[in-house]
Order: sequence, then C-alpha cells, then structure tokens
Amino acid sequence: MTYLVTDACVRCKYMDCVEVCPVNCFYVGDSFLVINPTECIDCGVCEPECPVDAIIPGPDDASGKWLAINTHYASLWPNITVKGEPPADREAFRDMSGKFERYIKDFSA
Amino acid sequence: MTGDAAPLVATRVSPFLQERVTWVRHWTDALFSFGTTRDPGFRFSSGQFVMLGLEVDGRPLPRAYSIASPSWSNELEFYSIKVANGPLTSRLKLIQPGDTVLVGRKATGTLVLDALRPGRTLYLLSTGTGLAPFLSLIRDPDVYERFARVVVTHGCRTVADLSYAALIGEDLPADPDLGELIGERLIYYPTVTREDFRNAGRITDLIESGRLFADIGAPAFDPAADRVMICGGPAFLRDAKAVLLARGFEEGSLASPGDFVIERAFVDS
Repeated sequence: MTYLVTDACVRCKYMDCVEVCPVNCFYVGDSFLVINPTECIDCGVCEPECPVDAIIPGPDDASGKWLAINTHYASLWPNITVKGEPPADREAFRDMSGKFERYIKDFSA
Repeated sequence: MTGDAAPLVATRVSPFLQERVTWVRHWTDALFSFGTTRDPGFRFSSGQFVMLGLEVDGRPLPRAYSIASPSWSNELEFYSIKVANGPLTSRLKLIQPGDTVLVGRKATGTLVLDALRPGRTLYLLSTGTGLAPFLSLIRDPDVYERFARVVVTHGCRTVADLSYAALIGEDLPADPDLGELIGERLIYYPTVTREDFRNAGRITDLIESGRLFADIGAPAFDPAADRVMICGGPAFLRDAKAVLLARGFEEGSLASPGDFVIERAFVDS
C-alpha cells in the first residue's frame, strides 16, 4: 500500500509532511508535492501532519486517479527532505476544490 | 581560488548509520530483543521509530522499528518478532554481538509526548511487539514530569509472550536511577487471551467492561484527565480508537496535540 498526496496540496504546499517522513519519499514540484508509491512504507505519520488534510491512504483513492498522479510526478521531480517556505498566497487556496484540474496542465491520465 | 583547485563534488551520504550489535536476547521462538551502539549524532524522542535493517545482496533491506530504549540512553534497543519467511527478520534473528546493522538517520513517529495535551494519567495500550515504543517512554523521566501516573498494558496470546514482564514489573521500580522517580506511579497491566492468567481477555474488552479500571483502582476513561497512546495490530488499533472516540477523546498529532495517538506496530512481512 502507500499514502498519496491529493488535491488540497496544490498551491498550498505546506510541506509539513516532509519533516516526518522516515524514508524521504516526497518529491516536489512548483505547486505541490507527491509521494513515491514504491518508496512509501505505509507508516502513516505524514497523514495527520498536513494542515489541509491533503494526504490519504491508498485504498481511499478508489478511482486510482491520485495513484497515477503521484506515480507520474515522483518519477520526474526532485526528492525533498527538508520543509521549505510554503507559497505566500496559500491561504487563498486552502478551501478550493478541483485545483489540480484548474492549475495543472501538463498531466495526461 | 586558483585554476587547479579541486572542484566541489557532491558525495552521496548513505541514509543509514552502521551500528554494532552489543547484545541479543531471545525470549521465545517468535520474539527477541537486541541492543546496538548509537551514533552520538543520532537524536530521537522516546516513542519514535526508525528504519532498521541489514545489508542483503549488497543493498539495505530496512523495516520500520520502534526504538525500545529511552532517548537518553547511549545505546539503542529493539524488540522484534521473528517471521519464518520474513525477508528481514528471518535474517535479523541470527545476529550476534559484533555484527553490523543499518539504522536510519531520521527517527519519526506519532507516539510522542508532544502530540498529547497535558493530562493526569497516561495509558499506554499495546499488543505484541507494539510494546516497544512504550518501553522507551516508561524509561524516560520526562513522562513522569508530565503525568502523575502511567499505566502500561501489554496484551499477548500467552504468558510466554509477556517479554519484559520482569523489567517493567520488578526491575524498573527498583532501578537505582529511575526507581525513585517512578515509585508507585508506573502500573503494569499485562493480559493474555489464550491462557489462564491473573488478567485475561482482550484489552479493549477489559476497558469496555470496566475491569481494567477496577483492577488498577482508577476511574473509567475521562478525556479531561486521561491521555492514551495505542500501538499494536490493525484490529487492535481500530477497536481501541473506536472505544476512545465513543468516549469523547480527540486524536492528536504533532501539528495539533490531542487526547490520544495511535501507531501501527510494524511487523515484517
């Protein structure tokens, strides 16, 4: 199994998750993070740390959409092991839904 | 500086520290503990886990292991199951003093004191090797500064599985350094499900029936005063969490301290 980063992360990108991951399986893009599903050891420590509840356990991703997204970008993006500075405008995106579809244009399912 | 200065080369640092096994103790044919050296730069909070492993076929084979020793100790201790065909434990169970084990550089986990609000009594509920993080916490003086009383439960199938019964029940209260601090404030409540024993049954059943509280002379769970940590198998976590939520406890995390925290006891597969 694995945990997966989902829509709430997009343009919020708090990165609290990175601090607690024992295997450094987060990868960073311009506006959000993903988990590498093959590296995640399923410890679950990151899930409650996200201020916007962006992380879900794998089985909650019924359609497999987020598994595909996390897998795709984890293979492209650099590894992140230290929490950086979140975007200054993150509060504006906190309760928005459908952010991935609205802002991420380079992904084809 | 000059043209022939050596270029700066980024070297990959291994994500693992190499530690040496210092002692091994086999409790049963399914349980054992061992100690290792500890790198002076390795920091952790009591209750956390770390990736631990062996080099197999030239590559690290790690699994998550709760650190059973307290954060002040200059050695590390681990409490492990032995799984017959487990990729790691089938090898790990063979270690001898002097052997090398790999220990991750970063400890983490949810079973830390800072994830709990202040309270009066700390309940540490565990089954099987889920006891490991609590062995760390009950030997950490910080716990006794934060809580007036600590109740550690250990649920197993048989009496033989109650490893550490002597350490918790007898050695700790008599310990020259910790004994005075611990005094009467540590209550050990072991229970088995498949044999006759002074405490018998599942921990969650003993909580719901009130038997646990009657036995230790404590009031039933009260979210205003009690704080709880839970570590064990998936069914135990699910049942214990449900018991607490039904009584008004709120789950906590480092980001947002609460009344209880839970963590899966990692078992080699």
